[in-house]
Amino acid sequence: MCKGGLVCWLSMGCGSGGCPIPSSTAQSCSCRASQGAPGARSRPVAMPPHSDAGPVAGPPDGGWGWVVVFGAFISIGFAYAFPKGIAIFYKEIQDFFGTSYSEIAWVSSIMLATTYGAGPISSILVNRYGSRPVVILGGLLCGIGMVSAAFCTSIVQLYICVGFITGLGLALNLQPSVIIIGRYFLKRRPIANGLAMAGSPVMLCTLAPLNQFLFDNYGWRGSFLILGAILLHCCVAGALFRPISADKVSVKTQSIEEGKEILKEVTKDAIDMNSPTNIHTETKTEEEEERDCCEKVNKYLDFSLFKHRGFLIYLIGNVLMFLGFFAPIVFLAPYAKHIGIDEYSAAFLLSILAIVDMVARPITGIIANSKWVRPRIQYFFSFSIAFNGTCHLLCPLASGYTGLVIYSVFFGLAFGMVCAMLFETLMDLVGASRFTSAVGLVTIAECCTILLGPPIGGTLIDTFGDYKYMFIKCGAVMVLAGTFLFIMNYYNYRMLAKEEKKRKAKEEDTKPVRTENEGRNNWNKEHVQDGPELEPLREEQEGLKKEANGTNEV
Amino acid sequence: MKILQVTWKRGNETIKHINKTENSWGIQLTISENRKLGSYTCTVTGEEEFSVAFHLQVPQIEGREKPVISYEGDSAILICKSHSYTPIAWTWYMTNGSEQIAINDSLMLDKYIIDRTDANVTHLKILKLTKEDDGAYWCEAAYELGKSKGKLKLKILSLMVPLKPFLAIVAEVVILVPLILLFEFYSKKKRAEDEKEFDQIEQLR
Repeated sequence: MCKGGLVCWLSMGCGSGGCPIPSSTAQSCSCRASQGAPGARSRPVAMPPHSDAGPVAGPPDGGWGWVVVFGAFISIGFAYAFPKGIAIFYKEIQDFFGTSYSEIAWVSSIMLATTYGAGPISSILVNRYGSRPVVILGGLLCGIGMVSAAFCTSIVQLYICVGFITGLGLALNLQPSVIIIGRYFLKRRPIANGLAMAGSPVMLCTLAPLNQFLFDNYGWRGSFLILGAILLHCCVAGALFRPISADKVSVKTQSIEEGKEILKEVTKDAIDMNSPTNIHTETKTEEEEERDCCEKVNKYLDFSLFKHRGFLIYLIGNVLMFLGFFAPIVFLAPYAKHIGIDEYSAAFLLSILAIVDMVARPITGIIANSKWVRPRIQYFFSFSIAFNGTCHLLCPLASGYTGLVIYSVFFGLAFGMVCAMLFETLMDLVGASRFTSAVGLVTIAECCTILLGPPIGGTLIDTFGDYKYMFIKCGAVMVLAGTFLFIMNYYNYRMLAKEEKKRKAKEEDTKPVRTENEGRNNWNKEHVQDGPELEPLREEQEGLKKEANGTNEV
Repeated sequence: MKILQVTWKRGNETIKHINKTENSWGIQLTISENRKLGSYTCTVTGEEEFSVAFHLQVPQIEGREKPVISYEGDSAILICKSHSYTPIAWTWYMTNGSEQIAINDSLMLDKYIIDRTDANVTHLKILKLTKEDDGAYWCEAAYELGKSKGKLKLKILSLMVPLKPFLAIVAEVVILVPLILLFEFYSKKKRAEDEKEFDQIEQLR
């Protein structure tokens, strides 16, 4: 496909800069030098001269990455499952402090709100210090929060210890885990994401009986103490998050001057500077002063994302979706009891949901990684949201226990599909470099609707005395969100294709200038930037001179 | 048609019954006092004898099967509920050896507090727990026709009990984290050494 050491770039579904994930069915695949396109950060790093046999460049897509996935599995599992798991203690705590149920339920709400609302703080810290210290700090905070909760003497103290402190700790666990997967994987990223997100149902299934056991043997205070120790395992997960830097790149020093020329032209639009491992080069001296102020802010949290079309689409779609996402889970067991099913069978429905969810997430990851789905992953995501909504719309038609079991199975499947791709699609849209800030901004926006969802559902149930309106509302909202995302992503893909064509045309014009220098080809081959574009795909072919015509493996 | 002999009895005393239909026989009772409660049996004798017993009683109070767990120095709350019927009074008993002693909260204000705000529910709050407070407690609901008891168990643990698993898990984490970091440090060192060797070999060539 491409010759002369140039890479075939598939522009769609690969962040704003496109990426070298070519496939034989790629529609807009343009041959260009590997330094990428405007909008993608491209900064070479000076390396010792004899670096031809340099170490692997870009995301390794394996090796230690799988250990990182395991660590993320634990971390994400605790972050999502813990707030749900401690609901077992609420009855006892309610009796102990003499409060009403709604006052106790605030503990979970505060915890959830803090976990999502502290997203930007998490992002800023990861931008500054990297994933590992943040996760270790998060684990310590969780541990301290729960241990101090064991000695609480009032409900307000519980709000602070369990709600704020532990919630903050979990927030510092969740974001960095997702971010580091983006740093370690590219080709197999959907699988890695699916596996890591499977931590949530697995942890929930483990925590529920564990919490019951702890409660029966140690009471709620002793259980909180021991849970504090268990949460310290997030620190262990954090220790596994070996930092991976973008400076594992070999660049010949004599080509750096030539490189600067190209970079100045190419990085004119590049404005994000949010990798802690990034090293400034002299190419930005003139522009540095102008953008100093904005850059300083964007260095910590990239607000320029709000100009990013894909990000805005994702944000609006997801904020809408979360309005109807969690309410059905919260009300599934009460609904089952309402139509006459006994308590244990109602609880079993949730177990079915969790088991199907557990299996669905990695499988969705594998499907999303296949060469048919990966370039069009946004459509798959919108489809799964709409599928989820349709399940809810059909739920009121389910009669009796068998109907509800079928609903639980499909709901578990749809829930797992959406969750597995939740962060993958965001990474896909904004690229791994800006993902750090994107995830923080997205979670704080989702925070509001996540908190509003179940209470609105509850109000509907109380007003009409019937659960079906809650299901209809959730289903309608999700189908709407899915349709919105589908249409807007179609538009987005088309606009990306148009921009790709424009870039192609521009490159054709500047080609004669660039092919002057001899050493240029060598430099082009070896130079790699972070983000979606990458070298390792090319490493699979023999020698660095062959074009990247490799297959996008599953 | 066979002739069936039907007898309604309470203990040994036979009660006159009414032939409601061909195949049903009933008795009508007015329960005005506690003595009238108990088991009423209906025996039908034909070729074989069948017997059925009806137990009339005051509403049963449910205690708690699993013990309430609390810690020394902490306080504990024991709760009893009567669902459909409102009792006249609630009384709490604690077991001392084999005896049941009524708890008088007005005598020991800083130890026991009984909450009587809701007539259907009673709370017993025990403060400043010690090992002696461990054991069975009874909540008794008094109705017009009689009394009913529910059993609850209180288990007092010392702080050492959860502390042991806590320290074990913390020790495990404290060992694992440096272990992982050390492993990483050594593997980096090894890789750097290997690279140095490789470079030296390259230079020699």
